[in-house]
Amino acid sequence: MIRAVAILGALLLAAPVQAAPVQAGPVTVRDAFDRSVTVPEPPQRIVTIFASNTEMVAALGLADRIVGIEAYTRYPPEVLKKPLVGGRLGFSVDEVVAQRPDLVVVTPSRQAASQLVDPMQRLGIPIVVLLQRNVAEILSNIRLLGRLTGVPERGEQLAATLQARLDKVEQRVAGLKPPSVVMITGRLGNGLLLVTRPGTYTGDAIVRAGGRLAFDGGIIAQVSPEAIFNSDPDMLLFAGADKDMKELIGRPGWSDMRAVKSRRVHATSRVELLIPGPRTIDGIEHLAAIFHPATPSQ
Amino acid sequence: MRAWPILVLALALSILIAACAGHDWATPADLFRAMAGAPDLRSRLLFEWRMPRVLAAALVGALLGLGGTVFQGVFRNPLAEPYLLGSAGGAALGATVALLVPLAVPQSFVLPVLAFAGAWGATMLVIGISRVSGAVDAAGMLLAGVAVAAILGALRSFLMLALSDETVSLQIVLSWVLGGVQTPSWPVLGLLAVISAACLALTMGLAGRLDVLGLGETMATAFGLNVNRFIAFAVLAGSVVVAAAVAFGGLVAFVGLASPHIARWLVGPLHRPLLPASALVGAIVVTLADAIARAALPPAEIPLGLVTAVAGGPFFILLLARRLRT
Repeated sequence: MIRAVAILGALLLAAPVQAAPVQAGPVTVRDAFDRSVTVPEPPQRIVTIFASNTEMVAALGLADRIVGIEAYTRYPPEVLKKPLVGGRLGFSVDEVVAQRPDLVVVTPSRQAASQLVDPMQRLGIPIVVLLQRNVAEILSNIRLLGRLTGVPERGEQLAATLQARLDKVEQRVAGLKPPSVVMITGRLGNGLLLVTRPGTYTGDAIVRAGGRLAFDGGIIAQVSPEAIFNSDPDMLLFAGADKDMKELIGRPGWSDMRAVKSRRVHATSRVELLIPGPRTIDGIEHLAAIFHPATPSQ
Repeated sequence: MRAWPILVLALALSILIAACAGHDWATPADLFRAMAGAPDLRSRLLFEWRMPRVLAAALVGALLGLGGTVFQGVFRNPLAEPYLLGSAGGAALGATVALLVPLAVPQSFVLPVLAFAGAWGATMLVIGISRVSGAVDAAGMLLAGVAVAAILGALRSFLMLALSDETVSLQIVLSWVLGGVQTPSWPVLGLLAVISAACLALTMGLAGRLDVLGLGETMATAFGLNVNRFIAFAVLAGSVVVAAAVAFGGLVAFVGLASPHIARWLVGPLHRPLLPASALVGAIVVTLADAIARAALPPAEIPLGLVTAVAGGPFFILLLARRLRT
């Protein structure tokens, strides 16, 4: 909550800067697919595919310009009434175009890029593809969206605020011994588990919060519980509800794990750590407090 | 011969309905405006995106109809279908590589090429295996096909598990495997039309010998047909047709199996009328199924292969039941 107020504060600080005449004329950026994306003037009708992109645009204070979201977007509240242009089964070119967008923001997940980039290019609707392979990319995405939407100062300011918070966490955990961590992000029907791997923003978030991935992960994201036992982490994280976590570690064998015995098992927020947006920084701060509780924090 | 005008009319009507269908329904007047080159966004969407897709669906369906007819003719088995000899497994493997392995070439180019290569390569492999094992007959090929399909399917599953991550989602591969017509640009659609015409000509060239083969291998040999040679050739030709369909339409279940049957009821068993009739039936079925896939569950699109199986299956069973009763 404090963080939310802080962000809001930053936005309010940025607002007067924004009141200066918006830079006119076309803006060109390079996106994650190394495509050149040009908007002739600041977009007023933005379709944001995926919660992360919606949250970033909203965090730039542009929620009112969002004209389409996808079905799994739950935040922020003011965008939830916007038309849905996609969901579990993919994304509708018809519905996106029906919103008459002047910018579409996607991430190459759940077919979004493969379904939307080609038609939007053919129709001449600017579409920008963002990747979030690490936390730094989240910040650069915020800057890029700021430039693209004609509010570059807000983007810079928001990214700088978030960077300052990251720096603070970095200072706090510097020199402390990083606990080895396994974060379980999902459970499959066949008993296999999904774990956070290096090379992802969630893995990066764990490292930035002063942890270390116990699991350097094979080439396959789903692992057996045995592999988790063998990696013998200092700490076990479960991205999800406390109840589900207790159910999982209540299963036979789990109680023998060192992390479980020493009660270093924590449920963590899915929205903070599995949606690569501004709230990921909240997640990193929360993780740092879990990893290094002795450090005076907040 | 009353069947022909009906088929052609039905196809024209299907294409019209499909072009109107979508999450945002259009009227024929909208379509006309779009074709006349109206500059508004919706008209351009209809012209640049929906129309090529509808026509591509029709052509993919036609190719599946042709491929299915050839395979049923060669194997003289009403259950034979175009994906029988490993082409589905090969195409899916090729597509998985194209979709998941970051290559330097644009995906819109790599995907059809690798899908085609996979489908064609798998069938070549099957024929090669049955040739090495000395069983270049229908049964030998079918068994080799089953084995090759199993191996390729496992390889694809492994690649899907190994290469999927947050950016290249498994769903992309899965939805391709479940079928979905690519939306070609107009020039690529032209290419697909030329390929389809060539496939029609190629399979029509087999028609007479497929009829002879239909009399049974002994009779066909008596008529001077080198049966094993012809089977291998016809299978290769059939798999080119199927590979072309797969490259542009993914794996569309059921159409290749059902279209020849429906066509046979309409025009009889001789391959010269049967091949084009089956192509028309396939085109109608896929065009309509694709329209349902695009329009039924906004804002989502249902994978085409699911629509053809779920909607086409009961329809086919109904036809079959009525047919058997009379």
